[in-house]
Amino acid sequence: MKRRPEASLTLRVRTATEECLLQVVPGTSVRDVLDTTKIRVRAACGGNGSCGACVVTWISGDVNAQTTAEYQRLQPAERAAGARLACQLRLQADSEIRIDDPAPPSAWTSIPANSLSAAPAGRPELQQHIYGLAVDLGTTHIRLSLWDRKQGRRIATRRGPNPQAIFGADILNRLASVIDRPERAEEVAHLARDAILHALRDILMRDVGEVRPMLAEIGEVFIVGNAAMLALLTSQGARELLDPENWAGRVNYQPKDPAAFQSKWLLPHATISLPDPVSGFIGSDLLADLVATRLIEGPPGSLLLDIGTNTEIALWDGTHLHITAVPGGPAFEGSGLRNGMAAEPGAIFRVRPNRDAWSLETIGGSPERGFCGSGLVDAVACLLASGQLKPSGRFASPTGDEGFCFDPGNPRTALHAQDIDTFQRAKAATAAAMAALLRQAGMGWNSVQRLCVCGAFGHTLDIAHAQAIGLLPPLPVEFIELAADASLAGCEMGLLHQDGLATFANMRNHIVAINLSQIWDYDDLYIDHLRLRPIQNQ
Amino acid sequence: MLERIIKAYNEAVFETDKEAAFEVINEAMAQGLTAEDVVFKVVIPAVEEMMADITRNPDANLAQHFMTAQIAAEVTERMLEKFKHPPEIIGRVVIGTAAGDLHSLGKRIVMGCLKALMVEVVDLGVNVPAEKFVDEAVAHDAQVIAVSAMMVHTATGENGCRKVREILCQRGLEEKIKIVVGGAPYRFDEALYKSVGADGWAADGITASRMIIGLIRVVKDGGGP
Repeated sequence: MKRRPEASLTLRVRTATEECLLQVVPGTSVRDVLDTTKIRVRAACGGNGSCGACVVTWISGDVNAQTTAEYQRLQPAERAAGARLACQLRLQADSEIRIDDPAPPSAWTSIPANSLSAAPAGRPELQQHIYGLAVDLGTTHIRLSLWDRKQGRRIATRRGPNPQAIFGADILNRLASVIDRPERAEEVAHLARDAILHALRDILMRDVGEVRPMLAEIGEVFIVGNAAMLALLTSQGARELLDPENWAGRVNYQPKDPAAFQSKWLLPHATISLPDPVSGFIGSDLLADLVATRLIEGPPGSLLLDIGTNTEIALWDGTHLHITAVPGGPAFEGSGLRNGMAAEPGAIFRVRPNRDAWSLETIGGSPERGFCGSGLVDAVACLLASGQLKPSGRFASPTGDEGFCFDPGNPRTALHAQDIDTFQRAKAATAAAMAALLRQAGMGWNSVQRLCVCGAFGHTLDIAHAQAIGLLPPLPVEFIELAADASLAGCEMGLLHQDGLATFANMRNHIVAINLSQIWDYDDLYIDHLRLRPIQNQ
Repeated sequence: MLERIIKAYNEAVFETDKEAAFEVINEAMAQGLTAEDVVFKVVIPAVEEMMADITRNPDANLAQHFMTAQIAAEVTERMLEKFKHPPEIIGRVVIGTAAGDLHSLGKRIVMGCLKALMVEVVDLGVNVPAEKFVDEAVAHDAQVIAVSAMMVHTATGENGCRKVREILCQRGLEEKIKIVVGGAPYRFDEALYKSVGADGWAADGITASRMIIGLIRVVKDGGGP
């Protein structure tokens, strides 16, 4: 799962209403790059030049020569005026294009290719319904990918918001919203189901070119998520999940009526595979992380941290997988911060001191709209290093109502005292949970050999900064891996495996689940980790 | 000397630096300050200053509250072991989180401050049934039951504070035992505490101790609000 940064070129994209800068890995088509952003070209084929819908205008920069597909699909006059097909266009140097007729806005974007894992082997024995859908159903985001299972080929991916968030951003509130309200429970289930169907249709329309006939060819949908998301998806068990007595026990959220599920999804031939969660408070998404990172094949002292709205942590001690969950993450996904946001265009993902000012990097090079998780870690670490923030979390001099503005001209670059507080509590919960797990296994930080960081931070987390403020332990940097989309990767492995459900079930045999509320001094550990300083080697 | 110690201790608490706070206290004791003096002349005034500070600036940082309350509780606990005579206790409180609620931090802060202010605290833990709150309050002769609830359904539900009130009423204990509540839902709706049958609430764990001490006095002085 290790990834290396690749050299990239810059693409400037103009539309009638906006302009952005994108980083492009050489060799990637312009369409593939745009698909990961909110500015998408029109499309009705898989990017092989056959539909001719993705017309853009080349303005400047060194690019590849026009292809046969472009000669077939574009008029000579259009070509002379700079028209290109985005799926055929590849950069050879920094370039600029214009899109006159972009696709209508959509909640769904493609997951960047460099954060996807290598495709597992195909299943040549499959004779019919060879397509399959892998779904990572998160509390805040849904990620999915469509596969040709026979060939082991990923057709396309999508990432978008979980629309259930209107009924509660966190798990407990969302569960509480459906208690004793069967019609609400049905509505919440429908929202997630419908979102998945929308994403699937978006793939079929844009990347395949036909919808209805393809839906009938899908043979399996493999879904992972935390227990609450699975309960809400299948309209059952919400009341039980709210009762702490049931958190440590086994739970089961198989659809009560699989046929109804298939018909609501318009997928008449799809087996709906929902691996059972570990327990009421640890979901099958963590199992997917474990499958993808092969944590138990590594040395004893391998830690896995999946940061999300619900943060889950696993520790392999050579014999057992110690596992726990902690509500640590919303701040790292931008929730609860005045200028917090998800990793979307305009999100500050990197902060560096620059003489007397700060240099801020945003996703898409767009104007700053707020901080995503990695930008927040950078911002706090830089302020701490410069002495403008103290280890207590107080600003050295009061910041007033405007907060601390990294760019004095832009209030969206401000951090407020309360944001620092929210951040401190999130990082303390995460670090204290790791410390508690280690102690439970009779280990210390110095016995950790590997740490996989999955989830919200993506690939842009500055590890040294995360260590300086005490979010990650002070391990040698080569022990730490960023594996952002591990749970989707594990889900894909489940989908492509002959018996994916069994792979997941086997993983459960190693697991010892730990409920932090039953560790008597977890609160003390938590408070000990609130200060902004490197984790102490206790 | 005392003035210098108080200043250094307050600075360490302000910086939420537990190690520094203990250094100040250890040095003070090496110079001859008694454990009693540390608690009554250094720690308690610092806690009271903290409460005043929160009242002035209610948006202050929660993480800092947690850290300062922890320092106060740990220093007090360490000092109490060294007291020559058992300290005079203001009163007794049983505390826990409501049935169905595992959020223990708010409770943790209230406990820290109460201990530092010489109130005895019996911790019933998390997810505490209403019957247990009352049984333990009677068994320990407590004046106050403190119910912490961080979620709307545990704050307003039938098995939390409402049920504690019901049982107190059934057993005729309402003059002898008061109920206080705390937690996020009560902050969003400041009249909520009354509708669930509590006698008091506070917006944060630190000022809660002031309100609780007030209710202990009401009970000890013989009854009604």
